[in-house]
Amino acid sequence: MCFNSFFFLFFFMLINFFFFVYFIMNGLSVFFEWEIISFNSMSIVMSILLDWMSLLFMMFVSLISSVVIFYSKSYMNSELNLNRLIILVLMFVFSMVLLIISPNLISILLGWDGLGLISYCLVIYYQNLKSYNAGMLTALSNRIGDVMILMVICWIMNYGSWNYIFYFDFMKNDYVMFIISFMIIIAAMTKSAQIPFSSWLPAAMAAPTPVSALVHSSTLVTAGVYLLIRFNYLLIDMFFFKVLLFLSILTMFMSGISANYEFDLKKIIALSTLSQLGLMMSILSLGFPDIAFFHLLTHAMFKALLFMCAGVIIHMMNDIQDIRYMGGLSLYIPLTSLCLNISNLSLCGIPFLSGFYSKDLILEMVSFNSFNLMVFILFYLSTGLTVFYTFRLIMYVMISDFNLMMIYNLYDEDYIMLNSMFVLLFMSLLSGSFLSWFIFFYPYMIYLPFNLKLMVIYVSILGSILGFMVSNMGIYSLNKLLLSYNLSSFLCLMWFMPNLSTYGLSYIYLNFSQILFKNIDMGWSEIYSGKGIFNILKNYSVFYNIYQMNNFKIYLFSFILWFMILFIFFFI
Amino acid sequence: MFFFILINNNSNKMFFLFIMFFSTLISISSNSWFGCWIGLEINLLSFIPLISNSKNLLSVETSLKYFLTQSLASINFLFMILIKFSLLKNFNMNNIISIMMNSSLLMKMGSAPFHFWFPNIVEGLSWMNNFMLMTWQKISPMILLSYYFNKNFLIFMIIMNLIIGSLGGLNQTSLRKLLAFSSINNLGWMIFSIMISENLWLFYFLIYSMMIFMMISLFFLMNMYFMNQLFINNMNFFIKLNLLINFLSLGGLPPFMGFMPKWIIIKFLLINKFYFLTFIFMMTSLIIIYYYIRIIYSSFMFNYFKMKWMNLLMKNNMLLINLSSFISISSMILSTFIFM
Repeated sequence: MCFNSFFFLFFFMLINFFFFVYFIMNGLSVFFEWEIISFNSMSIVMSILLDWMSLLFMMFVSLISSVVIFYSKSYMNSELNLNRLIILVLMFVFSMVLLIISPNLISILLGWDGLGLISYCLVIYYQNLKSYNAGMLTALSNRIGDVMILMVICWIMNYGSWNYIFYFDFMKNDYVMFIISFMIIIAAMTKSAQIPFSSWLPAAMAAPTPVSALVHSSTLVTAGVYLLIRFNYLLIDMFFFKVLLFLSILTMFMSGISANYEFDLKKIIALSTLSQLGLMMSILSLGFPDIAFFHLLTHAMFKALLFMCAGVIIHMMNDIQDIRYMGGLSLYIPLTSLCLNISNLSLCGIPFLSGFYSKDLILEMVSFNSFNLMVFILFYLSTGLTVFYTFRLIMYVMISDFNLMMIYNLYDEDYIMLNSMFVLLFMSLLSGSFLSWFIFFYPYMIYLPFNLKLMVIYVSILGSILGFMVSNMGIYSLNKLLLSYNLSSFLCLMWFMPNLSTYGLSYIYLNFSQILFKNIDMGWSEIYSGKGIFNILKNYSVFYNIYQMNNFKIYLFSFILWFMILFIFFFI
Repeated sequence: MFFFILINNNSNKMFFLFIMFFSTLISISSNSWFGCWIGLEINLLSFIPLISNSKNLLSVETSLKYFLTQSLASINFLFMILIKFSLLKNFNMNNIISIMMNSSLLMKMGSAPFHFWFPNIVEGLSWMNNFMLMTWQKISPMILLSYYFNKNFLIFMIIMNLIIGSLGGLNQTSLRKLLAFSSINNLGWMIFSIMISENLWLFYFLIYSMMIFMMISLFFLMNMYFMNQLFINNMNFFIKLNLLINFLSLGGLPPFMGFMPKWIIIKFLLINKFYFLTFIFMMTSLIIIYYYIRIIYSSFMFNYFKMKWMNLLMKNNMLLINLSSFISISSMILSTFIFM
């Protein structure tokens, strides 16, 4: 199952790659439309749009998923239900492909809902309470986006068809389009875990690591970004994009800070995914969809690699994810450490790795297009934070002593996992430059003062120094964080967002329903409906039975008395 | 079969049974009030030998009580006939004489304000005698009531019947008394139906007798007199089911047969704009259903976790029980073909 799927997806990737090259060389785009049903001049169609963007994205998705499936052959080695995992991943990829290729809202919903449902199934794959809770949080957060897409389907019916790309030009200033764009942005924010909805993304780390590698790099979380990239003609210069800009910058900043407080290996990576998603969303909302797409693709590569390295390390550490137990791993597992370091440095944007091309471009575009001070500061601050937590992670995991146990089994010869990682290693080394040659027909012209140009370097150096220093903090200094307990709990709990989206939503209603249950169900309605009526009737019945208990003579006398009274009336 | 159970293979009782039937026929087909009265008297005198059993002290007491109440009612009935002959020249329904005549007939059938003898006597009779008392003995007073009644008085009596029938049964544990109160409640329905038309009454009465026959024969065969006997006995599933169906039918739950006459009567009530009366009819039958459900509570449960100490060794009598509950279930559906 694993190898079959791997080969299938790999060849799918190759086909996509060749078509991508062909399409982008000739500037083609192909649009299929299959009419499923048509009534009252509304036609429900399955439409497929193949252009360089969808083909390139499909290529990346199929590459990563093929590699991930190959990887999970070893990672999930003794898993009993491995086939289920593979099937779920294949369905996941299929629904992602549906989402990518269709510019029609109804057929998008097919992929969109499929992603939500299968991501739930994948998160709860390990079938314990924690993964169940995480899966429920994931599914319900994504459900908001599904509802928004459904409502968009209702609203867009006003225009007579669901092929939204046709209405961008001449319906842009329509009021209905305003509502549609609002809903689309909300939907994209739920999928891409922007700030009010971002708590599900670290929670979804309950999924198996290969699944995290797939979900958090190229498929689920980027679906929202991709949707907004498709919709960006509509959304540019709108009010909601400014809101989205602020939210996404704050997401980036928040997750950068939280990652610094985090000690769980996978959660650090998840939070860095969140921060990169914020970066994509923010550059998208600044009006550069192609750069956002570029960063999406490069990020997909090195983030999948990062997760796979983390998976290898977790395997070797006896399923321990806490980075405080690790240390000195570069001495024992050089190849995995190589992959981890390259992907991490690529995440930081170290020059000429893949992340550099996109991230540097983004930051320079931000500096180049004069935005306000807050945007500027938050962008650079979060870039510094990225380097900060990356170096902290590297110091904790790679350097110093091994902290777990006397007896350990670190090995670097699992070539199934390593081979699959090498593919992505190659890609995360090269994909930045190769994509920048491919998809930008002409380079962006950026003209900046020297210091502003080097601003990225400055914050990176600052972040790396800070990361180094933080990783050398002893337990005594770490405990000093308790002095500012409120602040540090606020920062490390992702600004209380997991609490807000779980307890914050359910607490009021559970409390209220308990009060209702106590007062109404077990209180007033019991008195005034069921129990009360029964008591009244029972008391009447008891009262009546007093009459029934009389002597028989009295009954006969009462009858005669009745006749007497009637006689008196009769003769009056 | 049931007649043979009733008369206990006793030729004397057979004789009295025939007299009882014919006396009712005399009473309802008679041309004059005297004939009616004679029929009633013969009915009384033939019913007493049927219910009395010299070996059973309780039944002797019961037959005496029955005699006293019925004869008191008959005396007053005769008296009112005579007064009516002598004093009233024209045919006027709504006067005090009609109230008095109706009162004595209501006493005879055990209707509400004069019903106090009814649960007492029911408690002393065997099941089959109860069946006679609840069904056949009500024919002649009710037919006579339809000849000459005071409408307002009777509506008042109907309300009394309904309320007392529903409330009185609520605290009972004796199945005979429960059925007695339910028959008092049903008497309210029947009196109303006879005020509307005799056919409607016939319809209601037949279906009611059928349902009460099913109930009573089940209880007779299982030898049950109190509610807890249903709970502590291990019963055959089909018997349980039949009990359940027949009780729901008696209570007037829609898919079953018992709902149909009630439905028709409610329709008549609504056509004639007796809205308040309809309300009372429905609410009291709700209470009735409540105490029926309480009886068959153990049968309703999929799992009834109380210990059962006895086994009811009774075969499922196909002909009697299953057929009767089949009728309860299907006749509502089949009747749509009749009334189409």
